[in-house]
Amino acid sequence: MRSLCTYFSRSIVAAAMAMGLAALPYYGAHAAGITNRTIGYVLTNKYWAVYTTADAKIECPHGFNDGPREQFAKLFPNDGVKRTLLETQLAREADTWFPASLEEKTAQGPLPFYYVGGSTAIGLNLDGKVGPNDFTSPEGEPGIDNQLYRVIGCVAGFRPGGAYYFFMNEYMERYAFNRVLIEITNVDSLVNDDDVTVTVYRGLDPLLGSADGKNFLPGGSQRADERWGQRYITRLKGKIVNGILTTEPANILLPYADTFDCNTDQHFKAARLRLKLTPTGAEGLLGAYVDVDEWHRNMAINWTTHHASYGQMSVPSIARALRQMADGYPDPVTGKNTAISSAIQMKFVQAYILHPTLPHRPTVALAR
Amino acid sequence: MRSCQAVSVTGLLGLALLLAGGAASARHEQPSAVGHVDYLSEPMPPGFRVTINDIEGAVFADQNGKTLYTWPLHKLRNGTVGDYKNTASNCTSEVDTVNSGLESPTPAGYALPELASRKSCVQVWPPALAASDAKPVGKWTLIKRHDGAKQWAYDGYPLYTSMLDRQPGDVLGGTKQKLPGDAPGVRVPIGPPPNIPPAFEIAEVGTGRMLVNYSGESVYSWDGDGVDKSNCVGACLTKWAPVPAAEESQSHGDWTVIERSPGIRQWAFRKKPLYTYIPDDKRPHGLGGSDESGWHNVYTLPAPAWPSEFTQQATHIGIVLADSHGRTIYVYRCGDDALDQQACDYPSAPQEYRLAVCGGGDAARCLRTWPPVLAPKNAKAPSRSWTTIDIDPLTGHFATPGQPGAIHVWAYRGRPVYTFAGDPGPGDVNGDAWGVFYGYRNGFKAFWLRDDFYTNAG
Repeated sequence: MRSLCTYFSRSIVAAAMAMGLAALPYYGAHAAGITNRTIGYVLTNKYWAVYTTADAKIECPHGFNDGPREQFAKLFPNDGVKRTLLETQLAREADTWFPASLEEKTAQGPLPFYYVGGSTAIGLNLDGKVGPNDFTSPEGEPGIDNQLYRVIGCVAGFRPGGAYYFFMNEYMERYAFNRVLIEITNVDSLVNDDDVTVTVYRGLDPLLGSADGKNFLPGGSQRADERWGQRYITRLKGKIVNGILTTEPANILLPYADTFDCNTDQHFKAARLRLKLTPTGAEGLLGAYVDVDEWHRNMAINWTTHHASYGQMSVPSIARALRQMADGYPDPVTGKNTAISSAIQMKFVQAYILHPTLPHRPTVALAR
Repeated sequence: MRSCQAVSVTGLLGLALLLAGGAASARHEQPSAVGHVDYLSEPMPPGFRVTINDIEGAVFADQNGKTLYTWPLHKLRNGTVGDYKNTASNCTSEVDTVNSGLESPTPAGYALPELASRKSCVQVWPPALAASDAKPVGKWTLIKRHDGAKQWAYDGYPLYTSMLDRQPGDVLGGTKQKLPGDAPGVRVPIGPPPNIPPAFEIAEVGTGRMLVNYSGESVYSWDGDGVDKSNCVGACLTKWAPVPAAEESQSHGDWTVIERSPGIRQWAFRKKPLYTYIPDDKRPHGLGGSDESGWHNVYTLPAPAWPSEFTQQATHIGIVLADSHGRTIYVYRCGDDALDQQACDYPSAPQEYRLAVCGGGDAARCLRTWPPVLAPKNAKAPSRSWTTIDIDPLTGHFATPGQPGAIHVWAYRGRPVYTFAGDPGPGDVNGDAWGVFYGYRNGFKAFWLRDDFYTNAG
């Protein structure tokens, strides 16, 4: 059933047309920001949701995890023992791409890995249940599913100001590969509308930056990539209640590269958006299960051991922890969970989404 | 007086060129073997010559026909490797035994793989030695090695040949293709400058040696033009900008200056007027204009023909070369972290590096995860750079003649190519940048033919 607001909005249009005002711009008859029952947004910021307290004592009582350099020093101390590259660097690279099930042992025991403690996390209730391992949101909502936070919450690089936190946005903002658009159609009000369609696209254009370089501005245009970006086009059903857009669970694929020379994708399973909408922007969460193998591969590709060292991010340890904490999509044969619940905090600014008609040539023609 | 003369080498393998007009269809045309390479000749030391390679174009070779390389100074994370200009070679007869620690974050001092058989730098890269009475010629100078021997240098950099090159025209030791900063300190083949006007450059991309303008924008030709005659007028000019020729520009070789209207001069290459594509919007070496019917990128040398059963697949950023099943083709790159930065990406090199990233040190898992691309038993090499070789599937080394279990695989530049088990279907490139430093130091890169997103760096 249409909302009352939608009903009134349409009534106004009908009345205006009846009064001979149909020649006026359609925009004038709609809620702010909506044109032709459509509004678009472009993603400007995204962070894997990590709830933090001032001194981290609550969520990380044991401190933060070691990174590649610290682990290497513990595994191969400067003790006069002659070692080979095969048993040191190449062994660590092997563990990066094909992690063993257990942490490597030092003379003091296995390398430690610290999971998040505490009971608060940012995220969504993905399974509709309140389970023993679930968190409560900072606003008090129980049943929050974000086991990825348990894995990465005590890894410095993922926390606000950390290397991953910074660069995943830096490279999204600077280059076009990760440009993500959402277009809301069939929308009559940004406050209440019980039936809207949300389409996800990859965009092709730079973000519109403010003069001081600190913000992104609404009102720019973005071409939807309907050629190479076909795989990213996803249509979701949703509703807007009190200015909050919530979409029904669906699988979403997003381009997801944190740095140059990479072009990785990330699948989000049973994904839903919960975004506060305004005529100039949108802000909120993408909650979903992510495939642990894919998440691990993307991390290893985007963050070479050198770069991962900046944020004390040990890919082998994180990969093991991902599998340990996986909480969804059990493998039908082994019964092991293959996906982990997660959340991404997102910010968008409004943008006019263009749908250019592009020539299609499936192959490269070499003229000589 | 000109110090250079234009030289044109046509039909190296006796194959005719396809003219631009023949490339109008949407299907890819298999590149032919090397057909036509135009370069500026320079005075050379006695016996030295120019040979033609189907990827690198014209390269200098010594009196035995072996390609000449430099080892330019290269900055790594923790220091530099390579040769300084006008300075004695850093490639010595000493065998490096430990890693240098220049590749962050691993510290120095760990014993390198297969030490017992490791060669010295000069065994892998024999210096181009000069006779005691040799005299400098043009850009060719002489540098004294630490042992007192004279070594040829070009543009100030000491010269070497590669132990991998067997025949004249082989360029298996290195490439002119630009690699990013975290790649190893590689050797670069040298050659005479291409015979192109100063307003142009050549970009070495997956589809060949592509003509671009001085700012890197691709140039295009159009089937609708006549011989040395532009028919692009009116609305055509809203998308296509004729490449202007300066007042003093002269026709020469493959190049002609045409007058499209009184006083307005335009460059033409091989009789086809040249344009830039306005929607390319200054993007470097784009292929976007070739989406327009009848328009083509222009190559001084197209990529060497790849196996006929290979396919092209659309991905999320462009087009990739794929096997007959549509599976993305990957090349493996590897350079070790010893001071002499030896390559470890060919079958006779130590395989421990590859096995670490392709199978976690487990050869069987490596074979499952990154299988080499099998070639039909009777497959014929379609070009110099695409060949077949026999390898031992578990060690990755060359197989001995008649070795049981050996596999016959496709090789690019003498190295096997691979597919990735993590690519579920055609157009997937999940293995791109797999390995150390985005696959440049020890890992895998997809064989890109078109990348409209410049691997997220454009």
